Amino acid sequence: MASFQAEPRAGGRLKSLLSVENMQIIGLAVVIILISIVMQSNFPRFLHPLNIEIMLVNFMPEAIIALGMTTVIIIGGIDLSVAGVYPFAAIVVGKLLVAEVPVALAIILALAAAAAVGWINAFMINTFKVHSFIATLATLLTLRGVNIVITNGATVSGFPSSFKDIGRARLESGNVLDIPLILIIFAILALTFGYALRNHPFFQQAYFIGGNKRSARMSGIKVERYMYFVFMLSAVLAGLAGILVAAQFGAASNSYGQNMELRVITAVVIGGASLSGGVGSISGTTLGVLFLAIVYNAFAMTGISTYWQDVVIGIMLLTAVFLSEFLKRRRIKR
Amino acid sequence: MNALLKVEGIYKSFAGNKVLHDVSFSVNAGEVHSLVGENGAGKSTLMNIIGGIHRPDSGTITLDGQSVSFSDPWQAKQKGISLVHQELSLAPNMEVAQNIFIRRQPRNRLGFIQWKKMVDETSALFRRIGVDIDPSRLVGEYSIAMQQIIEIAKAISMDARVIIMDEPTSALSGSEVDRLYTIVRDLKAQGVAIVFISHKLTEVFKISDEISVLRDGHMVGNVRPGEATPQDVIHLMVGRSIDQLYPPKAEIIGEEILTVEGLSNPPHFEDINFSLCKGEILGFAGLVGSGRTEVARAIFGADRTAGKVTLNGKPVDNRSPHNAIEDGIAYLTEDRKTLGLFLTMPVRDNIVAASLDRFLTSSRMLKHHEIVAKSREYVEKMEIRPFNDEVSIISLSGGNQQKSLLAKWLSSTPKVLIADEPTRGVDVGAKVKIHSDLRALANQGVGVIVISSELPEILGLSDRIAVFREGRITAILDGDVTQAEVMKYATQ
Repeated sequence: MASFQAEPRAGGRLKSLLSVENMQIIGLAVVIILISIVMQSNFPRFLHPLNIEIMLVNFMPEAIIALGMTTVIIIGGIDLSVAGVYPFAAIVVGKLLVAEVPVALAIILALAAAAAVGWINAFMINTFKVHSFIATLATLLTLRGVNIVITNGATVSGFPSSFKDIGRARLESGNVLDIPLILIIFAILALTFGYALRNHPFFQQAYFIGGNKRSARMSGIKVERYMYFVFMLSAVLAGLAGILVAAQFGAASNSYGQNMELRVITAVVIGGASLSGGVGSISGTTLGVLFLAIVYNAFAMTGISTYWQDVVIGIMLLTAVFLSEFLKRRRIKR
Repeated sequence: MNALLKVEGIYKSFAGNKVLHDVSFSVNAGEVHSLVGENGAGKSTLMNIIGGIHRPDSGTITLDGQSVSFSDPWQAKQKGISLVHQELSLAPNMEVAQNIFIRRQPRNRLGFIQWKKMVDETSALFRRIGVDIDPSRLVGEYSIAMQQIIEIAKAISMDARVIIMDEPTSALSGSEVDRLYTIVRDLKAQGVAIVFISHKLTEVFKISDEISVLRDGHMVGNVRPGEATPQDVIHLMVGRSIDQLYPPKAEIIGEEILTVEGLSNPPHFEDINFSLCKGEILGFAGLVGSGRTEVARAIFGADRTAGKVTLNGKPVDNRSPHNAIEDGIAYLTEDRKTLGLFLTMPVRDNIVAASLDRFLTSSRMLKHHEIVAKSREYVEKMEIRPFNDEVSIISLSGGNQQKSLLAKWLSSTPKVLIADEPTRGVDVGAKVKIHSDLRALANQGVGVIVISSELPEILGLSDRIAVFREGRITAILDGDVTQAEVMKYATQ
């Protein structure tokens, strides 16, 4: 019966700590730390709290959107429309505020508008069986047009200060925890999603769908309904990011979010998710965004031509893809 | 004894095509009831109806005396009917325990998964069945055979009372099949009813308490193994008697065409030496994983290896399948869906896919009318149904897909053909046809290698047999040896 004996377990706690997913995350963390050390030794202001804050806050929209994108990519899909929903929600909330709609209601309506876009994405994917790439590319292009039409290409501004305060708010308790609200929002979202994806049966279904759609269906998972959930989640998070940015800048413009979908996907993939589905984690994605944030910030600080930053990010993306394929092949035989 | 599961008067049509016509079927607790029939006879449809994937147009399903109807497979599972599919329905990227407990994970009060409990319960389950599988490893890390066991374990953990196994042994090697039989016997002892679907009549006769035969959507017979012979069952399946399952062996064997010396690719295989003659069928026997497929892939240039391959006295340096095809070596893959066919493309394109450069005009454009003629010729010659080479190949039955795949290599007029599991998942009629086509090819002076896990097929077809064990050839035997002799070299 030799063939029915599983190989002995590949070691104890240390080995399981060095499992495939963890290897990639640890590797990414090491790269981030190395960049920080090199930068800090040449530019002592690099790790100054103020620079760290700028670095992080600049990438908060990407970070929030990446949470939803991770879920979309885990189920084996992709959502390009986030780069359209992001300015769209900003514009909708802006227009409503200018029309003197109460702040809370304006935010809720803008989020609902974003959710509607996610619903349309899932509807097209489910009903016409089109790939999510095409469905969301269609909504992205449509929204870009819609955004210009609604605004006539002009920036929307003149928001009540109670709204702008959301963008400027800080959590202040002495000088210890002086943190911008937007970072707190992201942290809460990331911890919640991260924990749920790992430990909640409903969120776990995403991995099953991405791993084997047929098996998921055979096991009674309502795959179609899940599509609505995932794409609406992604759109709502993109909408939330748009609203927060409108509050931060006190303005909304159709020019927000250029190439944002690609930056977000890059961060998620650098964080170890696989575009073929079934693999990905919030911790990886968070590090992926942090990596992008640090690289962008480092280039700005050193004054080296920013053309090089795309080269660095491109190489990092290639490395990440290479690494996850390599590790996957070692683990999954079939 | 009262039947645990009983279906009566089932009718089912798809788009006007009657697939099942007044079919009744029952299985008792603690018994194995096999369902046999050619591809397209309606076996899968019947099983899908019992398993809750399709709904019957009319007819009743009774489980333990109570009438039931299912709107999806999950409902059937909850009632105790589990379908273990030919194509596995596990998520390879997930841990074993998660797959076993999908949608039933033990949860704490907040609704989150209790990992430890889940893993412990999975371990206990595997101990009960007597297999050593680690619940925390990914399903994809295990072989297809082990995945099949995991799938059965999943059914057991849901307290399945009826387990339907669709071709469970098609991907298993000898010892793994024995392991499966043990599990089936244990399940029987626990009072589980098992519906067993298989093309391999020898195993059907070995394992079943009862055998039912479907033909063209009608239930045409029901026998007990002691009361009928496999020949009788084949007769019921095809509606005519097939007296000659295998074609006669070679009369004249020509000169040596292919020589393999010192071929190595550790850990898959090492120091492989053999030769193949014109007009000969050389069988590769051995267990799954003994290196047969890997050797074939090496000769075909799909993998890099050390060693020497000589074709017609000239050394061939096959760096890629492209070179191999140019040299006249063809390889019929064992995995037709992922490595052989272009599933969404028409039958015609599939047939000419390996020989397109034979249909070029002087300006290197495709001669479409010749392609059409060639493809039609093969559809006719190979009896591919339907007689239409414009439909996409995914709509054909397994047997006809396999015949198309064989046609693809025949139309490339190879000097050497390596056929890897040429009749896997293929019904009796197509099987006989493929066997006689392989023999006809050999008679034209082509050297043919047949790899098969079915020993009767190897013995029935081969002029000589190379037996593989753990990556080495342990013996090269004449074609008229006994099964026992081959097994001796394959396992010891």
